[in-house]
Amino acid sequence: MVRRVLSLVSARIAAGVLFVIVFLAVFGKLLAPQDPLAGGPQQLAGASWHHWLGTDYLGRDVLSRLLEGSRISVLGSVEVALIALVVGAVPGILSVYLGRAFEWLTLRVADTLIALPFLVFAVAVTALLGNGISQAMITVGVLISPLFYRVSRAATLAVARSQYVEAALISGASIGWIVRRHVWVKVLPPIAVALAQTVGIGFVVVSSLTFLGIGVQPPAPTWGGLLASDLRYLHYQPYAPVAPIVLIMATVWGCNQLADAIRDVSGEAGRALLNTRRARVNRVADREPVSVEGGAR
Amino acid sequence: MAVSAATYPFVSGRRPGVVAARVRRAAGRTLATLARSVAIFVPVFLVATFVTFSLRALSGLSPARLQLGEDATPQAIHNIESQWGLDRPFLAQYGSWFDHLLHGNLGRSWSSGVSITQLLGDGLTISLSVSFFALIIGVVFGFAFGTLAAVRRTTWIDRVITGFMTVISVMPPFVVGIILVEVFAVGLGWFPSAGYVPANQGFGLWLAHITLPAVALSFDAISVVARQLRSGLIAAYRENYVTGAIVRGLSPRRIFFRHVLRNGAGPALSVLGARFPVIIGGSVVTEWIFGLQGFGRFANDAAQQGDVPAVQGVLVVSILLVVSFNLIINVVLGRVTPASQRGV
Repeated sequence: MVRRVLSLVSARIAAGVLFVIVFLAVFGKLLAPQDPLAGGPQQLAGASWHHWLGTDYLGRDVLSRLLEGSRISVLGSVEVALIALVVGAVPGILSVYLGRAFEWLTLRVADTLIALPFLVFAVAVTALLGNGISQAMITVGVLISPLFYRVSRAATLAVARSQYVEAALISGASIGWIVRRHVWVKVLPPIAVALAQTVGIGFVVVSSLTFLGIGVQPPAPTWGGLLASDLRYLHYQPYAPVAPIVLIMATVWGCNQLADAIRDVSGEAGRALLNTRRARVNRVADREPVSVEGGAR
Repeated sequence: MAVSAATYPFVSGRRPGVVAARVRRAAGRTLATLARSVAIFVPVFLVATFVTFSLRALSGLSPARLQLGEDATPQAIHNIESQWGLDRPFLAQYGSWFDHLLHGNLGRSWSSGVSITQLLGDGLTISLSVSFFALIIGVVFGFAFGTLAAVRRTTWIDRVITGFMTVISVMPPFVVGIILVEVFAVGLGWFPSAGYVPANQGFGLWLAHITLPAVALSFDAISVVARQLRSGLIAAYRENYVTGAIVRGLSPRRIFFRHVLRNGAGPALSVLGARFPVIIGGSVVTEWIFGLQGFGRFANDAAQQGDVPAVQGVLVVSILLVVSFNLIINVVLGRVTPASQRGV
């Protein structure tokens, strides 16, 4: 499946962008030219050979802070997505099997979590629970989890009631074989789409929280925190927010694009297509659907 | 229906009777939609308020720490906690809190002792004017872009709009907010960069202060509505009844408004209901950027202070806003596309 996804040009670009960003997140500390927390004599300096992206209001090197901050911002959103996967997918699959009371209860909770004003709750709960980065991740993860709940529940329902699973059971296949052969193929693509989406959403929320100064202690740099401090000195450094904004937009765009590519390749119902050429034909058909009616108009 | 047929016999003037019957049927359908929507949202409201209330127990915060500081004697802590009624069993506390809630009483702030309803009142006006302005911008521009892209589909106009929507969909509100401050407040100086002026001190001034925050909040709604509307309208244009209408020689305008828009706008409307929480949530960030003392800012400050009843009040109000907005959307949706109610 990975190869099929990467055969799309947009997916390759998105994966490249995300790879660079994850690389920065993992090795940012080693790449940083200077100590991200050490102030210098030049404050609010412009870009120079010594400070590629200039310095902030305490004379700290912006490039180093950006690289150092990528760890919390990016790896944090991956963690959020994984928490959401566990919290959402497990009850989603169990809701099909554990009886109607459990099903009703989990459905109502999922409805509620979807209807909540996300950011207000994330801010409030994180701050009340002690204002740490792990509290932030758990809160945001739980708030996003209905996405996985719905996706995994729908996929499980489709598989559990399908005739080919019944046929396989009757012909004596073991549960493990059915899961490997039928269920996995059906459940994996929607989960992958949801995972890519959640990383994007989680990234936006974690960045918003750090922008507000929630979930991190002050000297530690994050992309959101960098933007917040840039905001106060816009008059002196009008171009300072460009670098973090570009990084944030590139990350969100990469996640969305990857999610779209996985969806395109695996088809609407999560059905894996046989070869890439058919996937591409479908894509073109979706993009430009109305050549006939265009003439009729 | 039987009652209405008895009260309005057929003989008594044909036209008024028909009109009245039609109005009554529409009203009945709207009421039925409303009842069904309420049935969906009551459990949502109950679960959400329960989660909100259990925040105090989860966080373990108490008014004693706020008022006495870290090194208070256990006896003093106990006194204050019993004064706030916190030594009672959890469910009893929830019961009386919920009872007060239904009477519009959100309790008192731990830090200042002032009624939270009163504290929230001013902030709510600011937040609501910004949010609804954002919503109007989102609906107007979302529908304009979506319609334009669908009518001129597969041309360069469509491609430009779709590309633009992709770009603004990846911009979170705080990014848009900073760009707007940078360009329109610092760079061009057209709008004030922060603060708020009530509408009774000058409408133009008020509008100037809420424009930038509203625009920052609206980007998400614009992109979502435009994309949904575009795909909805294009799907409607593919239907056989549109081909039939073209063959019958109806004008493109009539086809668009009577056949396509009505059938294609459903998904865009329902997605608008789903995006309203995002607008309300985004106000936390935009109010921070633009220095507005709205209820998002209030939530942020109260939460960082550890003032649990104030936070609960804000959360309950935001839940109420979302639920009532979704009720309205459901009713509108039921009127525009009755088929959308079948699955509910």
